[in-house]
Amino acid sequence: MKEQTTRAMWWRSPSFILDNRQQAQPYGTARGGALSIPPPPSTAMADPNPNPNPLTDKISAYYQTRAAHHGVVSSDWLAQAQAAVGHIPDDAANSDQGAPSGKLFSVIDEFNNWRKQPDLAEAVAAIRALAAVIRNSQATTMMELEIELKKASDSLKSWDTTSISLTAGCDLFMRYVTRTSALEYEDFNSAKTRLIERAEKFGEISYKARKIIAMLSQDFIFDGCTILVHGFSRVVLEVLKMAAQNKKLFRVFCTEGRPDRTGLRLSNELAKLDVPVKLLIDSAVAYSMDEVDMVFVGADGVVESGGIINMMGTYQIALVAHSMNKPVYVAAESYKFARLYPLDQKDMGPALRPIEFGVPIPLKVEVETSARDYTPPQYLTLLFTDLGVLTPSVVSDELIQLYL
Amino acid sequence: MPDVQALVNMFLNKLKKRKIEGSQATAKQTAELLRSVISQQRVPRTNQAGALIDAVRAIGEQLIVANPIELAVGNIVRRVLHIIREEDLSLTTAAVAELNLSTVSDDDDDDGGGGDQDDRPVLSAAAVAAAARNTLRPPSLQMLLEGAPDFVAVPRSSSSGGDSEGKSKSMDRNSRTRKLKHDIIEAVNELIQDITTCHELIAEQAVEHIHQNEVILTLGSSKTVLEFLCAAKEKKRSFRVFVAEGAPRYQGHLLAKELVARGLQTTLITDSAVFAMISRVNMVIVGSHAVMANGGVIAPVGMNMVALAAQKHAVPFVVLAGSHKLCPLYPHNPEVLLNELRSPSELLDFGEFSDCLDFGSGDGSPLLHVVNPTFDYVPPKAVSLFITDTGGHNPSYMYRLIADYYSADDLVVQRRHAAGN
Repeated sequence: MKEQTTRAMWWRSPSFILDNRQQAQPYGTARGGALSIPPPPSTAMADPNPNPNPLTDKISAYYQTRAAHHGVVSSDWLAQAQAAVGHIPDDAANSDQGAPSGKLFSVIDEFNNWRKQPDLAEAVAAIRALAAVIRNSQATTMMELEIELKKASDSLKSWDTTSISLTAGCDLFMRYVTRTSALEYEDFNSAKTRLIERAEKFGEISYKARKIIAMLSQDFIFDGCTILVHGFSRVVLEVLKMAAQNKKLFRVFCTEGRPDRTGLRLSNELAKLDVPVKLLIDSAVAYSMDEVDMVFVGADGVVESGGIINMMGTYQIALVAHSMNKPVYVAAESYKFARLYPLDQKDMGPALRPIEFGVPIPLKVEVETSARDYTPPQYLTLLFTDLGVLTPSVVSDELIQLYL
Repeated sequence: MPDVQALVNMFLNKLKKRKIEGSQATAKQTAELLRSVISQQRVPRTNQAGALIDAVRAIGEQLIVANPIELAVGNIVRRVLHIIREEDLSLTTAAVAELNLSTVSDDDDDDGGGGDQDDRPVLSAAAVAAAARNTLRPPSLQMLLEGAPDFVAVPRSSSSGGDSEGKSKSMDRNSRTRKLKHDIIEAVNELIQDITTCHELIAEQAVEHIHQNEVILTLGSSKTVLEFLCAAKEKKRSFRVFVAEGAPRYQGHLLAKELVARGLQTTLITDSAVFAMISRVNMVIVGSHAVMANGGVIAPVGMNMVALAAQKHAVPFVVLAGSHKLCPLYPHNPEVLLNELRSPSELLDFGEFSDCLDFGSGDGSPLLHVVNPTFDYVPPKAVSLFITDTGGHNPSYMYRLIADYYSADDLVVQRRHAAGN
């Protein structure tokens, strides 16, 4: 009783559902002195010997993987992270029995295999995994196949609830399957082959999407401009690559992007392209903003309001840019459009990542470990997608067309 | 053909020398020119639409290059292309429906094996027609996973299905050729009609927006605004108008004269006085030169200042625009790329300033530079409402109107060199 009121005192999110959900879950606590996940203050005081539960049910596998691919980390928690990413399907497999769980095992395993490739988008990995489900399926009717796919897609989504492109990719594929099955294909096998073929093609579509986005954004990069970039987005990198190939003269300010320090990797790539790069620590963004002509970011997900969910720090940069009248451009593929409508920062499911400070942090000190934030649409100027150049208000229109 | 070429050359000349004033006149003449081009264009037996599209594209490219600042030219070219595609599609769907009906009647006679074979091409033609309908819409999430069938394939497949029917189909195809051109020219006539009457449709909405005893501010002179205000006056609303003169052309003077002639109480102010007077104004109503896809407005110079003043004092800023002014492009650097510098003689008297502007003195470059831009860019967040001939809209809604009027394939008007055919 007392614990609950103390907790309620600090947490002021208007999203009541989220508060109830978090109060109901058990807390994984710190492993060693260098990491700390925020336990509610009362629990820490009541239990001086923290329960060494695995962190896996709180840490976002999506952001772990991104860090593994693009971040620069020097400590042993990378090994822990990779172990965490690799271990989960084994746990799931051990707890399940029977033929259907064999399917469960292979979907998530398959997905992980695809996801490990650094150049492959999340949604593509998800759709490839679902294609593998179709291939291995023994269903004889479309209805059965759809049910199997639904189960596989649900298990993928629940395995990592924090990855928006994963959810969006699964939903997109499920909608496509439902629509295709509505068309009159006399032959089940031809329908199946068509589904598999389209799923394989999706990888190409995703790659082409990046090219289209790069082409659309070329006009907005003019000679002599300064671009501020945050986080490592492969789409934004493609945009800048194409601009460099077109011999445009521009320079890039790159934020460090703590805690993954993805900015370091990005600045490396840009230096290889002979683009003048300047590295900024995250706090130096407002200081340098008057020299900047535009801000370019990618997105982990685009929500229904037209806002974006992206690496922590994007909202901050968008606020500063807006107050100084600098345009904020978002480069995102259309399959990242998700049916979410966050009302505030805490309205999404938590996606936590351990942050390492280099020195041990006392247990009493809470650390904000959320890996992502939400940028409302009024701070964004334009979205470059493979559907064309869009203003934020077009996003909900597209989603309605797809889902209703 | 040489007749059409002469017309085209004459029009190109007029565009290059900026002899045509105003987007409405330009739009009307462009549409009329394209109508002549279409009616005189010879079309092959198959793929008539493709041939027409190529012809219009080729001429459209030249027109746009002649005057890239006059966005109405590009708008009308794209509208005509969209009309061609739409008419072709509706004819194809009608033909497929006919094919369906005729196949069904054959089945009744044949009664058996032949029926199954015939069903499949009909079904696939229907599916292809449905897919072609989707290619007319801009790319969307729904179509992401589907392969887009080639648009050109649509008439071919339906005509190949028709070959099996025999003579009746070839007669239908002939009439289809004539019908396509006829439909397109009818639609272009409607477009010309819309351009001519856009003022009336906009003016009809005046009485909803202008209320009794209001003070309206406007800048420069726009026929649409004049008709709008007079329509409200007709409906017995009494209100006052502040007219900012709109230097350096001072067209506000002409507007003030017209308004007084129609019996409206008018006050003439300088552009610099706008900030001083804006707090006494209830609404700002202005015309525009072009409206971009993000809701931004290209308007005569000075408009951005009025928009900022209105924003600062929370006065609604209403822009009137006919649908021929709606451009499907997004502006990047519009102050430079979508602007024109006019002659300094509008600002200065050459006689008095001849020594300052002398290119012969010193190192060949004068110390006095005169910049006389024609247009201003007003960002979308400064605009409260757009009133077009289809009604009142938010700036963030303009993309929908664009999707209705234009096809995604036509955004870049360039002749395709031996590609899609």
